[in-house]
This record gives sequence, structure tokens and C-alpha cells, in this order.
Amino acid sequence: MEVVLHLPVVPNVELVAAKAVEALGGALGMSQTRVEATCVAIVEACLNAMEHGGGEVVVRLSGENESGRPRLVIEVEDHGGGFDPAKARRKTVAQVLGCASKRGWGLTLIRELMDDVQIRSRPGQTLVRMCKDVEGGP
Amino acid sequence: MNEEQIHLTADVLTNGVGLITAAGYINNEGGQAIADAAGDLMERGCGTLLIDLEGTRIINSIGVSILLEIMEKLLEEKGRLAFCSLTPTISKTFEIMGLVQYATIYPDQQAARADLEGHASG
Repeated sequence: MEVVLHLPVVPNVELVAAKAVEALGGALGMSQTRVEATCVAIVEACLNAMEHGGGEVVVRLSGENESGRPRLVIEVEDHGGGFDPAKARRKTVAQVLGCASKRGWGLTLIRELMDDVQIRSRPGQTLVRMCKDVEGGP
Repeated sequence: MNEEQIHLTADVLTNGVGLITAAGYINNEGGQAIADAAGDLMERGCGTLLIDLEGTRIINSIGVSILLEIMEKLLEEKGRLAFCSLTPTISKTFEIMGLVQYATIYPDQQAARADLEGHASG
């Protein structure tokens, strides 16, 4: 079971990816709360890719069942300048209060809301691979 | 889920409480619409704002960043921000982004109004 989306950079197109999570997550038997958490994560990944990638964003969603552990696997790929994931530290509210810009939460949310996140980035390609187990806590 | 357009209502309640209900996608546009409504209620004398997200299932960090700006403005004016009717994921997102450290979260509007207005609402 796989869905591949080629998203142009247009307003609210990230909701198309969220809709795919709803459909695939529901088909895999994922709870509504886990689907919604995954929707927020994929929205953030798409927004980052559109903002920094500078062109079409490719999203791949698939169901996997390795070692009897069913999970939804999502890859979000852009072709921008890339970044060093190790330098993208967890953001805190204390860092943003009093600052003009309160943005930059995307990776923090993705890492907190998903069960497993891997980021590979180099100039010309950034790939965010994130997994959500079908079963688990909220 | 996935309602692109946000639908808002804004009302002045008793005891200086302003109520905003927001249903839809809280992105940059949705967050800004809430911020505009919040600014209007503050100008009308509301020092406490209650934002009811009963009809909201999806948010993004840009929209929540604008909610952080509302919170900061209220704190500067010794006001108070509260939310109610959050989905578990929105509640967790607010926790991750620190909103719950400064805003009060209620399970539903009735509980929020009972506390904020000082009496149970119908």
C-alpha cells in the first residue's frame, strides 16, 4: 500500500498530504488521535520543504509491517540547499518569548509527534523519513 | 478535518472575558484571523480571552506561533489567555510549543466559563 504525491508550492497544498495520512492511517487501523498527530507532522514537513526547498515537494506514504510492528512510513523530499539536522536543536518557548519571530517549530514538532524520525540532507536533496506505529499510546 | 477556511465568532462575556470560537485550519491566515479578533476584544475591554477550538482538528506551527504572539500581548497587559475543547494532538502541540505554561486549558467551554466568569454558564 503506497501513495506518492508530487506537491506544487501553492497555498494549503500540505492539507493534501494530511488527507492522504487520514486515508492510509485509517486503512491501517490507526486511532484518530495517532492519525491527527501524524497529520500535524506531515504538514510541518511539507511546509519546511516548500519554504526551504524552492520547488515541488515529493511525499511518499506507505504501510510497513516489519517484525509484526505495523507502521505508517512517510518520506518528504525537497531539492533545496539542505541543512545540518544536528544543528536544528529542539526549540523552547523561552527562546521565542520577547523575540519578533516565533517561528521555527517544525522539526521540534515532527520529532515529538512521530515515533521515529530520520533526516538526510545535502545540497540539492533533503529527505525527512518519519514513522508512526499503528498501535501505541496517544 | 482539513477545512481550509477558518470560521470565527467573537463575543464579549461577563467579567471582562472575551470568547473566540475558531473552527477550521489554524495556519497563518487562521492564526491571523484569531489575532485580529483577539485585538478587537482587548480594545473592547476584555482582559481575559477564551479561545474555543471545538471545531478545529488541524493546526500548523505558523498558526500557533501567532497564538503565542496573542499570549505575549496579553501577558504584557496583565491579561489572561485560556483555551478549551482541544483535541489530544492540539493539546500536545500546545504543550510542546509552551502555550500550556502560560495559558489555562479547560476541557470544554462550560468548564472554562464557570471558572473565568465566576459562575456556571448555561
